[in-house]
Formats: sequence, C-alpha cells, structure tokens
Amino acid sequence: MVETGHFALVLAFALSLVQTLVPMFGARMNNQKMMAVGGPVAVTGFALTALSFAALAIAYATSDFSVANVWDNSHSLQPLIYKITGTWGNHEGSMLLWVLILTFFGALVAAFGSNLPATLRANVLAVQGAIGATFLLFILATSNPFARLNPAPIEGRDLNPILQDLGLAIHPPLLYLGYVGFSICFSFSVAALIEGRIDASWARWVRPWTLVAWMFLTGGIAMGSYWAYYELGWGGFWFWDPVENASFMPWLAGTALLHSAIVMEKRSALKIWTLLLAILTFSLSLLGTFLVRSGVLTSVHAFATDPTRGVFILCILTLFIGGSLALFAFRASRLTAGGLFHPISREGALVLNNLFLTTATATVLIGTLYPLAVEAVSADKISVGAPFFNLTFGPLMVPLLVVVPFGPLLAWKRGDIFAVAQRLMAAFAAALLAVLVTALFIDGASVFAALGVGLGFWLICGALTDIAVKSGFGTVAPSIMLRRFAGLPRSVFGTALAHLGLGLTTLGIVGTLCFGTEKILSMHAGETVQLSGHTLRFEGLYPAQGPNYSEDRGRFALLGADGSTTAVITSSKRSYPVRQMTTTESGIKTIGFSQLYLSLGDEGTDGSVVVRLWWKPLVTLIWGGALVMMAGAAMSLMDRRLRVGAPSRRRKSTGAVPSASLP
Amino acid sequence: MLFWVIAAILTLGASLAVLLPLAGGPKGVSASSDHDLEVYRDQLSELDRDVARGLIQPAEAEEARAEIARRILRLDNVGDKAATRQPSMATRLVATAAVLAVPLVSWGLYSQLGSPELPSQPLSERLAKNPADSSVDELVARAEAYLAANPSDGRGWDVLAPVYLRMQRFSDAVTAYRNAIRLDGDSAARQAGLGEAIASAAGGIVSADAQAAFEAALKLDPANPKASFYLAMGMAQEGRIEEATAGWQKMLAALPQDSAWRAAVEQALAESARRSVASGVPAKGPDAGDVDAASSMSPQDREAMINTMVAGLDERLRQNPRDAEGWMQLIRSYVVLGKADQARGALNRGIAVFGSDSEEAKKFTAFAVSLGLTATE
Amino acid sequence: MTRKQKRLSVIAGGLAFLGAATGLTFYALGQKASYFYMPADLTNASLQPGQRIRLGGLVEKGTIERGQGATVAFSVTDNQKQVKVTYTGILPDLFREEQGVITEGTFRPDGVFVADSVLAKHDENYMPKEVAESLKSKGVWQESKSD
Repeated sequence: MVETGHFALVLAFALSLVQTLVPMFGARMNNQKMMAVGGPVAVTGFALTALSFAALAIAYATSDFSVANVWDNSHSLQPLIYKITGTWGNHEGSMLLWVLILTFFGALVAAFGSNLPATLRANVLAVQGAIGATFLLFILATSNPFARLNPAPIEGRDLNPILQDLGLAIHPPLLYLGYVGFSICFSFSVAALIEGRIDASWARWVRPWTLVAWMFLTGGIAMGSYWAYYELGWGGFWFWDPVENASFMPWLAGTALLHSAIVMEKRSALKIWTLLLAILTFSLSLLGTFLVRSGVLTSVHAFATDPTRGVFILCILTLFIGGSLALFAFRASRLTAGGLFHPISREGALVLNNLFLTTATATVLIGTLYPLAVEAVSADKISVGAPFFNLTFGPLMVPLLVVVPFGPLLAWKRGDIFAVAQRLMAAFAAALLAVLVTALFIDGASVFAALGVGLGFWLICGALTDIAVKSGFGTVAPSIMLRRFAGLPRSVFGTALAHLGLGLTTLGIVGTLCFGTEKILSMHAGETVQLSGHTLRFEGLYPAQGPNYSEDRGRFALLGADGSTTAVITSSKRSYPVRQMTTTESGIKTIGFSQLYLSLGDEGTDGSVVVRLWWKPLVTLIWGGALVMMAGAAMSLMDRRLRVGAPSRRRKSTGAVPSASLP
Repeated sequence: MLFWVIAAILTLGASLAVLLPLAGGPKGVSASSDHDLEVYRDQLSELDRDVARGLIQPAEAEEARAEIARRILRLDNVGDKAATRQPSMATRLVATAAVLAVPLVSWGLYSQLGSPELPSQPLSERLAKNPADSSVDELVARAEAYLAANPSDGRGWDVLAPVYLRMQRFSDAVTAYRNAIRLDGDSAARQAGLGEAIASAAGGIVSADAQAAFEAALKLDPANPKASFYLAMGMAQEGRIEEATAGWQKMLAALPQDSAWRAAVEQALAESARRSVASGVPAKGPDAGDVDAASSMSPQDREAMINTMVAGLDERLRQNPRDAEGWMQLIRSYVVLGKADQARGALNRGIAVFGSDSEEAKKFTAFAVSLGLTATE
Repeated sequence: MTRKQKRLSVIAGGLAFLGAATGLTFYALGQKASYFYMPADLTNASLQPGQRIRLGGLVEKGTIERGQGATVAFSVTDNQKQVKVTYTGILPDLFREEQGVITEGTFRPDGVFVADSVLAKHDENYMPKEVAESLKSKGVWQESKSD
C-alpha cells in the first residue's frame, strides 16, 4: 500500500507534465483533441494524488514505522484521530495535502468547466498543471513522504505535542483550501494573458472561485487564531507572527479581489486591475508557503526547516510570480479597458475598498519582510511586532470600516451620497447610542473603546440597513416588503452577512482589547480570586494519565453569588515523555459571548501554583464574526447569477457541449 | 508481485486518460463569442429580475441595458478564429510523445525513488505474527502493547523489567521495576533490579535513589548478592575503599562456591586493592583518555567499565537523540571496542535522527570513514 | 470642474493617500521596530531610556529566583556578560536553565531589564534563530552541547 501510494505520486507527476504541455500546445495550434486532453488528465491526476495521500494516511493510522515520515511524527499510543491528523502535521505530509488540494481544484475546473470556451479551459488547466508539476517535483526531490526505513523501528518519535489537538485536523486543510483556491484565479489570469483577451465568461468565473477560496481562507485563519488562543496558553488571539501574516496577506488581497471582481462582472470595468490582483493574491499565497516552509523566519511554525527546500521553493516562487508578472507587463496593453464610472458610485466605493486593502496588504508585507531585508544588508537583527502593525494597519482599517456601510447602498455608475447617508441615519443613531452608553455606563472605558464599540454597531446596523432598504422597508406595504425580502438575490444577503460578520469581529476585538482584565498570582489550594465580578476558587492539582502523556490538572471552581460551585474549569500541564516536552492546556469557560480563560504556570516550592487569569469580554465574537463572513460567502455562491450557462444547444450547429452549472 | 500488478494498472489508466481524448472523434466547437453572448444574455435577464424586484431604478436599468447591448454588438466584430487545422506532423509527434511520457517518466522516476521490495508494515501486523519470527524488539513491543492495555498487570512488568535492563533501556527498566513493586509488592530481586537500573541509567554511579533500593532489597533478603555488591561499589565510588573492601569480603565469605557473583566480587576486590582511590565512573561516554586510563586495569575490569560507560551513553542518546557530539562519541567507542556492527548501527541511528541529507549526517559519515567504518546502506 | 480635472483630482487624491501610507509605514518602522541584542552587545549600543529591545541569550545556571507571586528574576548571559531580567507572568513551558531565550521589554534605570514577554526555544532541537547565530558568532555555542 505504501509503495502504491509512492508510485501513484510519481504517476501524478508524469500526468501533470502532460497536463501542462499538451493542452497549451493544443490551444496554440487550435487543436481540439489536444485541448480536450486537459480535462481527463486533471481528473486522473487528482485521483492518483488522492490515492497517494490515502496511502500515507493509512500508513499513519496503522503506525507503519517502515515509513520514515510516520516514524518521525507518530507514536503507536496516540489516539487514532491524532495519528490521522499527523499525516499533515509535518512538512512532507502538509506539502502532499497542498498538492492534493491543488489537483482537486484542477479537477473541479475540468468537471464543471464544460461551459468555458475551449481554449480558455485548456490554458487554465495547463497553468494549473504547471503549478502541480513544480510542487510534485518539489515533494519528490526534497520532501518525499514515502522514504522508507529498513529495518523498521518498533516505535515512532511522536507528533509534536502542540500539534496533538483537534485544531490540526481543521486548520491546515481549511487554510490550504483557501491558499490553493486562489490558484484557480491565478490560472484564469495567466490563461487570459496567454490568449491576450478577457472573455465575458472569464469575469463570471473568477468571482465564484474567489468566493470559494476566500471563504475557506477566512475559516482557516479564524480557526488558526482560535487554536493559537487556546493551545498556546498566552491568551492572545493574534500575534502578528510572520506566519500569521503570511496567511493574512492573501486574505487581504483576496478580499480586494472579491470586491474588484464584482465591478468586473457587473460593469466590465477594472478588468486589468482584477487580473493583476488575482496574480498578486496567489503570489502572496506562494510567498506564504515559502516563508513557512523554508524556515527563513523565526517562528513557532518552523517545525521542519531545511535550506535546500527553501532554495527550491524560492525558485518556484520566482518562476511563477516573476513569470506571471512579466507576462502581465507584455500582454496587459493588449487587453481592452472597460466601462467608465463616476467617483461617487458603487464602483467608486469598491475602488476605495481596493485602495485601502491593497495598501494594508503592502504594510503587512513590508512589516513581515523588513527584518529579513535589514538582516540581509546589515548585521542588525530587528523584529517588527504588534506595535508597528497597530500603528500602520489600524489607521488604514478604521476609515475603511467607516465607509463599508455606504458601499452596498450606492448605485452603480453614478451614486447619490446624500441619499445614502439619509438611509443610514438609523444605523448612525444606533452606533452613536452605543458610543454614549459605553462611555457613560462602563467603568474605565476610554474614548477609543467607546468609539470602537460604536464602529462595531455601525457595521452591524449598516448591514441590516442594506437588507431593509433593498426590501423596501418603510416605503412599501409590509406584505410586499416580505415578498421583496424573500425575492432578494442571495448575493445581497451574502454581502450583508459578510459585512455583519465584519462588525461582529470588530466588536469582539474591541471588547477583548479594551475591556479585558488580567491577573497573575500564585495560589494555594482553597484560595479564591476575584476577576471582573467572577469568583474562582482553586481546588488543587490532580495528577492524571493520558494515552501518551501524563498531566497535572488544576481544578478551579467558578462560584455563584451564594458561594456554590456553578462550573468547574480545568487547566493542565502535560508532559509528553517521548519528546520530553511539556505543554500547557488552558482552561476556558464561555459565559455568553465572553470567556474566562486561565492557564497554569510553575509550581512554587511551597505548594503554590502560578495562575494567570483573563476575563475576555465578547472574545468569541472574533471567530463568530468570521463564521458569519463564511456564511455570507456561501450565500453569495448560491446566487443563481453565478450559474453561468453554456452556449445553449438551440443556437449551435455542432452542439456537443452540454450545459452545466457551477458548484 | 501484487504491487507490480497495481502499478501496471495505474499506469495503464493514466495513459488511457491521455490517449482517449487524443484518439476520440472530432469534438464540437463553440466559438468563444458564443460563450460571451450567453453571458450577456444572462446579464440582461438578471437586469430584468432586478428591475422587477425594484432593486434598481428603471432609468439605471435602461442605461445598463444599452451598455450590455453595446458589448453584444462589439462581439460580432471580433469574428472567430480559423477553423481547426488538420493535424500536422508536429501535432502527431506531440501526441505520441505525451502518451509515451506517462509510463516512461513514472517508471523511470519510481525506479530511482521507490523501494518496491519493502512491504507495508503496520504495527499491529508486526505484533501479531508468530513470536518465533519476531525480533526481540518486536516481542518487547508486543509486551508493551499488552501492558498499555493492562497497566495493572504486575507480573507483566516483572517479566519486562529485566529484559529492559538487558536491552540497556535503563529508564524504561526503572519504570517497569517501580510498577512491578507497586502492583505486586516488594521483593528483594525487584528492589535490587530497580537499584541496578537506576545505577545503570546514571552511567554506573550508585546514587542515593539506587542506594535506597539496594538497602530495601537487603532488608527483605540480607543475602541478596546484587544488592550487597552494588552497595559496596557505591562506597568505593564515594572513596570509602576500606568499607567497600570489607563489604565485598563479607560477600565472598557468604557466597556459595558456584555463584556467578564470585568472579565479579574477586575482580572488584583486586581492583580496589590495586587502586587505593577508586573514582566514580564519569557519566560521560569514554573518550580516548578514559580508554587509556582504563588500560591500566585488568582486561575484564576495563571491558566492564567501558561497557557500562558506553551503554550509559547509548541509553542517553536514546532519550535525547539530537546530540551530534554524543553520536560521534558512541560510534568511536564501539569502533574502539571492536564492535563494528554496533558502531554501524549507531551511525545509522545517528543519521536517521538528523535526516540523511543533514549536515550532521555528512559529518557522521565522514567521521565513520575516518575510523575505517562504512554505513551498510 | 471638467471631466479631466475631476479625473486628475481623483488620481491626486489616490497618490496623496499612498504617499501618506508610505510615510506612516516608514515612520512606524523607525519607531516601533525593536532591535535584538545579546548582553555583550549592550556596551556598544546607545539605547534611549525606555526604548524597547529584544534581549537574547542563555538563561544562566542557578540564577532563577521566584519572587513575590508570579514575578521571576533570572540572568541572561552570552558567557561574556550577563543581564538581570525580571518578568511577571507565566514562563513558557520550555524555559529552563542554560537554554536559549528571547525576552522583550525595556531597561529600568537601575540596569535591570523588565521583560513583558519571554520566548523560549520551541522544541527539543530548536534554539531561537537569533540566539543561535549570535552565540555561534561568539564561539560560545556549538551545534551540540554534550553535558
């Protein structure tokens, strides 16, 4: 089974070479048969990669230590779920997952792309094949997960304890679905550049793919943030760690792409810009892969670092980013520009959005790469952390958030800003009320905190206003309003939900940062501590045994007003003998949208334990908001507008292309 | 064999995915302008829906409709590309090359990278096979799996503990002896074994913990030779040579004639008599200096001392494998001892720890070659 | 305004925005980037009072003192000089004597470094990159430590 997986991987590489060369050649020669090769080959390549991945996963599940990768990252005593997730909890396996998802998206284009013009489809699959071929070569040449050990060791070296968590089951797959999803937009852009024309269907295709990738990337980043929050025991949800930035930059650029693609789809404007943005977004995804995989950055994610790999990925990076940008420089002038619009219009608002988002992406990029650049030219080592990003990223985001509610209410082509402002009066009043209530009734609320809360409410109410206005609230009879509400296009709901989610996340961040409280103290068993109106009693430390670790559990009782225990919170220190590592498991109790968070420190000589407690108001909204954003993206995807028809049979002479719909 | 059949089937399937579209009949062609037209029609109907819903004003809709109409008109000017060309010699060549490339590239690459002769080895299968075919490692692993499921079986721990000791997995032996004592109660043999395991884990030094275990053993069985021997050794290590000598002599008097301990005690006595100061065995692996110093001892003594030290080092590297210096020391020690197989084993283990293409691995290999040793691979 | 003027003003606005953003970014880099030092580097460094820096090195053996509550004091050394550090909070799981750490914070007037974050190496083999390189360049730390 292991060798079958290995062979399937090699075969997938051979097919990806064919997928790159034959359809592209066919498109140049206008040879239908050659162009048709792309589809079946892409699907077969995906099937083979999936077989290969399954073989590796089975080797993990059955603790086959004759596979070096399994031996290095697994242990026979691990629970089955962590044995399986361990498949991608390491460099080799995670690269295989990356390629699996890449070929999966290629197969989707092949399966649902029958309504695309043949040359466009062939070129898209060829570019997708080229990305796949380079990454498969990378895996086979530098990071082969199927390297064998003979004789096989009898026990493995265990998975890094930090990765033995459900977060690993969800975070990387979601993140990669997002990262790699943008490869489709990239392939479409490069295909358009190769052909030298942008079809109308091109515009319609890029948007749903952007939505899919953006949805998964949002989920992946939010999941990663929550994972770091509860697993690292530091109580933070975002560290501006280079690896976090690596996933955040494609998200920012992808968000810009999502919006500019609307303009292109609806108005055929901003075509060239959208194309460039699609290239940049995937380039940032590749850059993210490079930063994480090459280990050039000091980071908690650097679980496998190897200079030869870094050089290889750098070559891939140069090839694709340099190549696509050079192609853009040569060909962009051949593409025709689109429609005109007034600065105050939906298009104008979306351009403003793009301006802010791309600038924000640039600041994050500079902040992430600047230390590397400084270290390369001088001996100085510097670090650029949260203070830098708060000073640059913050001021860029706040005005953007302020104008968000205006966008969806402006008309296309030429908008009336005063009419829109009038419609938003109610939302503005609600936000103002929130500011006043916060400032007057919450102790210790600063002006910034109050304004932050107001901003969150402004976004939430703005999103609701959008729906209300579009269903005719206050202008038509309630029955008609209800009918109009039900008949609104899904994409309108999608927009409103995404903006609502943004508001929730904003509220969560402001709540946690401005109203959170924190205490560090050393406690003996039986002592109580007060934090923001909650009383906790430390019950003591209890030893316990897990499958492949032992732990000391600290039990804390949350006391009600009458002194009775209302809940028990447990935080523990785990010790994994195989890797001789200890980890801290934080204890979290969710109360409403807020959380009590505590983590254990060292034991003192007198039997006391250092305890760090946080009260994190509204913290769950940060990730809840991201879930709402994902729901918005899913809603938009269901819009019938995105189900582009193929040329229908009626009007066609040779009529063999079936009409199909997009996912 | 089965693997080759599967590989052949997979190759065939992959080749067919390339071949079939190339060999298929002529495909219907739709010009890209048809696709564009379809999109524009769709946009028009969407516009009608939006007007019906009251989402946009009629005037705006009229403007948008005119704009889409302009795009449709522009389409007709584009005109379609030339019809499919007849397949030329070049295209036929490309097609043939593509079909051939699949088996050639895949079998060529796999022959370089793969290990087709190695079967999968799921752990449960390895543990389930006939004990007679199993290696000692596998038998131990089987016992471990059993004890993981039945951790309160004191007898199991009791059986496994001395095996660990012999395999020089000293810290595991300590745990196993402790479990056996906890579950099945004290016995002189277990306490003495525990003491030996603790001492061996510390590279032969009889620490306070080990001493306590030996004393507990003597309390249960005053004649336990292992405990007496090590306690005396502990005294010797502390520099209390006379007490140690007295202890050993007392042992010698009490031991039966055929006891295996006799030889060991006599050696220890001879040693302590020759060297008035017996220093503690260093916890480090032996270096050249240690080996030289050991040359002044009797051959058996020397070997015993070196073996203990090397075993301690080996064990330490098992626990804490990322120690390049340690691996080189271990390899050198085995070479010095003339145990080429074990040296090679240590080299391979060390290489496996750091990865075969790491700096360390290269250093190890060069080092081993300089000692006249080559890796088996 | 004519159409041309309008377009020009939009472009000018965009450029002004980009200019402001660029200015802000580089201002922030100058202000907020924190430099990395080893204890021995500090003699040559001219630090403003209250300037945030990152201080890296090994935790000196036998210097860890647990004080009142959750405050911990220890010395960071590069085997040439050492700096006393205090930190209030929970030390990372991998914080040990003679292991590499990176602390971030400011110097108190009495020369004690007050850290608000402490990072330890992340697994059994991982030395913070800056610390490893600096120690190597000082010849203190080799690829492996035999102890």
